[in-house]
Amino acid sequence: MSNIIEARGLTVRFGDFTAVNAIDLDIEEGIIFGFLGPNGAGKTTSVKALTTMRKPTSGTISVGGFSTSSNPADVRSMIGVVQQNNALDMDITVRENIYCRASLHKVPKPEIEARMNEICDAVGLTPYMDKLPRNLSGGWKRKTSIVCALMHNPKILFLDEPTAGLDTQSRHMLWDIIRLLNSRGITIFLTTHYMDEAESLCDRVAIISKGAITDIGSPRELCQKRGQFCVEYSSDVGKHEYRYFESHDAAREFYETVADKNAVLRGTHLEDVFLEETGRTNVKALQKALRV
Amino acid sequence: MSLIGDIRLVCLSDLFYLKRNILILLATSLITPVLYLVAFGWGLGSNVTMEYNGQTYSYIAYMIPGTVALTSLTAGFSTISNKLMIQRKFYESFDEMMLCPVSKTSIILGKAVLGILKSILCASIMLALGFFLTDDLLITPMLIITVLISCTVFSLLGVAAGMNVRDLPHMNAFNSFIILPMTFLCGTMFPVDKMPTVMTWVVSALPLTPASSCIRASALGASYPWMSMVLLLLWGVVFFMLGKFGLRQSD
Repeated sequence: MSNIIEARGLTVRFGDFTAVNAIDLDIEEGIIFGFLGPNGAGKTTSVKALTTMRKPTSGTISVGGFSTSSNPADVRSMIGVVQQNNALDMDITVRENIYCRASLHKVPKPEIEARMNEICDAVGLTPYMDKLPRNLSGGWKRKTSIVCALMHNPKILFLDEPTAGLDTQSRHMLWDIIRLLNSRGITIFLTTHYMDEAESLCDRVAIISKGAITDIGSPRELCQKRGQFCVEYSSDVGKHEYRYFESHDAAREFYETVADKNAVLRGTHLEDVFLEETGRTNVKALQKALRV
Repeated sequence: MSLIGDIRLVCLSDLFYLKRNILILLATSLITPVLYLVAFGWGLGSNVTMEYNGQTYSYIAYMIPGTVALTSLTAGFSTISNKLMIQRKFYESFDEMMLCPVSKTSIILGKAVLGILKSILCASIMLALGFFLTDDLLITPMLIITVLISCTVFSLLGVAAGMNVRDLPHMNAFNSFIILPMTFLCGTMFPVDKMPTVMTWVVSALPLTPASSCIRASALGASYPWMSMVLLLLWGVVFFMLGKFGLRQSD
């Protein structure tokens, strides 16, 4: 399958601070790609560069075969972007937000109404069309943003932390929408720091930490690379430890030697990989700071 | 699509907003100039006459054109600068507009439309009030054109500020140190030549001074100050360029 997004040496600096440091990305058409990283890792900055909203300091980006620096208009015509904070105009209704966004993308007027009705019905937004976004819950605001981003029929949808701050029902509702859109051929690029989300939705993921990609592959590949089985236990000095094993037998053997009665033998999760790549909380420092 | 078509697309969301909130927007923009009119026109100035262009006018007749100019500034500037700042910094809906296939010129002009419409409505109400209060005012084609230009220039000032000012505290500072002094000093309520010479030079160069002198001349039938109009138009060009500069910075 051909790559719909390619980045080479993508770097974004703010003064002396390097937010994104020479990352390379190859994203195949038609997949759900997850860009995982803790807060401040460079996810949003990368999305802004990939979507032409921020010029990279160096490196090249190609989206759908078009360069973001020399053909930004062509890139913009084939992408939809749902930003972290929805980017809706809170002073006009949901219907007006969608109508304005479609108009700005020059969707012909007769098509706007038909497309708006079709997408809003599909995502269940129809009863909220005449409400102001500020009066909606986070999940419905996010749905409104998604509908806005879909009005010009993009090939790629960028979702920046689409479920951040949402309740479980809303998260699952959005996951269903993301799967539905992907099944209709839209390539999805989503950033998240929820590993269950990435595990459930993504065909491939990249982990970014301090502006650099530390690992890339399918969630399964990344877990296998780390070791398919994990023993989670407290060491003699009271520190919570994680050990990874290629085989269940090796993990079982180690598990039986561990003194901790609460030790757990389980499969390795993407969250384990993520925490190993991006760093766990320094418990000792935290205890010292809190004087406990 | 043409520039006009793009401008229409850019201002669409602001027009929906104006339609829904027109009464509150007009009321909030009119309260300050009406209070000035009541306090300085009727209150302090009821027994005052002013010499202008070799003729004597009641103070209220002298003041109303200045108040119209002032209204074109406050109504055009405040709506646009605050709304643009909110769209850029808080809603971030402005970023979405940057992803759409519309030209930068149409974004600057389209964002000014809300301010232009609102300030035209407010200025028209103030003029109507003026014609009710005094018989000295004249409606001339030049008055209408001047008011339109003034509303456009100050709406472009709103766009320039909304695009370039960093955050709300800086916007408040801009309002306090630039806009508020202009409303009092730029020939709206008294002639600028009453001030010390250096102050007169400075104030004469500010955009509200040519706006008030052009509106006053056309409303009171005096000879039209064409140099002031050129200066006002130059300010309009400067504000447009500043808006474009801010847009380029955020691109």
